[in-house]
Amino acid sequence: MQSAETTTGSRASGLARLVEQLDQLGLSLPILACVALLALAPIFVSDEYILRLLIASLYFGSLAMCFDFTGGYINAVNFGFAGFVGLGSYAAALVAIHTGLGAWAGLLAAALATGLVGFFTGFLTLPLRGIYVSLMSWFVGMTLMALATAMVQVTRGARGLIVPPLYSSITTGGYLYILLGMSLVVYVLLRLVIRSRAGLAFRAIGQNFDAAQASGVNPTRYKLINFTISSAAGGLFGGFYAHYVGIVTPDIMSTGYTLEVMALSFIGGSGSLLGGVFAAFLLIPLFDSLKRLMEYRLIIYGMLLILVMIFYPAGLSGLYQVLIQKINRWKGKKIK
Amino acid sequence: MDVTVLQSLLLTGLLRGGLYALMAVGLALVFGVMNICHFAHGEYYVLGAYAAFFGFVTLGLNPIPAILLAAFLSFLAGVITDKLLFHPLRKRSKGEWVMNAFLLTAGLSVVLQNVYRAVFGMRYRGITQYWDASVEIMGMSIAADRIMAFVIALSAIFGLWVFLQRTRTGRAIRAVSQDERGSMLVGINLDHIHTLTFGLGSMLAGLGGASLLSLSPAYPYGGNKPLIASWFVVTIAGLGNTQGAIVAGFIVGLFESFSYFYLGQGWQEVASLCLLILLLLFKPTGLFGTNIKSVWEK
Repeated sequence: MQSAETTTGSRASGLARLVEQLDQLGLSLPILACVALLALAPIFVSDEYILRLLIASLYFGSLAMCFDFTGGYINAVNFGFAGFVGLGSYAAALVAIHTGLGAWAGLLAAALATGLVGFFTGFLTLPLRGIYVSLMSWFVGMTLMALATAMVQVTRGARGLIVPPLYSSITTGGYLYILLGMSLVVYVLLRLVIRSRAGLAFRAIGQNFDAAQASGVNPTRYKLINFTISSAAGGLFGGFYAHYVGIVTPDIMSTGYTLEVMALSFIGGSGSLLGGVFAAFLLIPLFDSLKRLMEYRLIIYGMLLILVMIFYPAGLSGLYQVLIQKINRWKGKKIK
Repeated sequence: MDVTVLQSLLLTGLLRGGLYALMAVGLALVFGVMNICHFAHGEYYVLGAYAAFFGFVTLGLNPIPAILLAAFLSFLAGVITDKLLFHPLRKRSKGEWVMNAFLLTAGLSVVLQNVYRAVFGMRYRGITQYWDASVEIMGMSIAADRIMAFVIALSAIFGLWVFLQRTRTGRAIRAVSQDERGSMLVGINLDHIHTLTFGLGSMLAGLGGASLLSLSPAYPYGGNKPLIASWFVVTIAGLGNTQGAIVAGFIVGLFESFSYFYLGQGWQEVASLCLLILLLLFKPTGLFGTNIKSVWEK
């Protein structure tokens, strides 16, 4: 009986297996649907403005995801995050300008350089905990910004570096595809790490450092791994941004940008990876429609962060979990 | 090195240090008593500057009443902030207090900066001087404003010190900073102490902004620099150490004026940040060995 079932449903079960495998990678059907929608956007939407808005949302959402990898899991707020991302931008820009290796090598260099600095920062924060980790990473981020301002021969200081596009014939839609690909790959990789033993160790360290250490988790190792991965991923997106915008100034490393990414990540719900991405797609287009009222936009941003912190620290992803639970309970009742 | 150069560097360093100390004492107080990593401290500095500007220029007050008005208004703003934001957060947030409070102040900083921008616009609002005079010190003529700002800073710090050491409420504040549960047991009303502390911290920041109005005009984003400077000071002193913050304020002021002279602005920042990183790495308790509370490491 069983064999009959498998033969008749082999095609269907093959599909089901694929769905299941994708689900294992974190690409559940709703997420795939969102990706497909984004991928279709450049075909059906010819409005540059909307495409740029989608890129901005995806870019900041992806940064929030990288930020959440440290903030939401090992519970260390990297307050110098914008400095790391900016370093990625500078690395990509310098490689693209001064070497003949091309833009793609620049992106790789961006990830490598920031990964290295991330490792170094992880190393510096080893003896520190809690708010001291944030302070240390803040100082490292500000040092990077101060260096970018001071090393005028290399970075042209506040005048900034002019960066060529990723490739000569690129369109806005092309940028969206590249960013979408990068975000997907980074998301799947980050999730694989989170799902592995390492991820378990991250959460253990984040929840109770001493208990984690006592039960045999090596905090040194996992802290270094976490900082390196999160920074490298952030730097990769920073490299993309340099090409997309076409100019890199020290200003992109300022703490204000860290605040923006941090706000998205916490409004989305810390420890959820995708929460920040959804927050970005909700808020950035909304705020952009208030563009002429720039100051009000940021006021709302700050207020949201305050309200989330006071009343709902679980953020959007917490809300989503509650909804799913409610739906499941309702379904269960119906079956009974 | 030229003696007059040395003298002028020393003098500017000291004058600057006094104001850093004033800002940092407020920050250290808020951190030590309330366990809040206050990231919006600079915004109360700006509030003080705006209040002094409108008091001095629009209302035509004398300098001292204008500065006092600014101090009072920033105190009030601090009290309102605590009642409106930190009070509800304290009720709800238990284990994650330090991080949540820190993120809340980050949001508060964004909100206040942009409220200033929306209300007052991007204009710089400054005055040329409070007092039309200059003082001769060691052969150099220095504007009376700078001396007065220094004097105001020192007297405010002294006043705070007397208040903390000699009055009943001051002692209660110190008790709360040492042990919250213990002070609750002896009948101290924590809510009142927290509100008062935040008000005092904001007042010190506002006082700084008001007395420096002629040197740095009121501007929506004007709080960033003093904020970063006072965080430097507090880190050097050891988080939450108010007495250390006074000495560290002068250290930072002197270090800045000397390194600025020798390295130029860009590299001066790099140098001071590298020193801070080294300090945090080897002596996270700061130069004066503050006790690290376990909450700060959560």
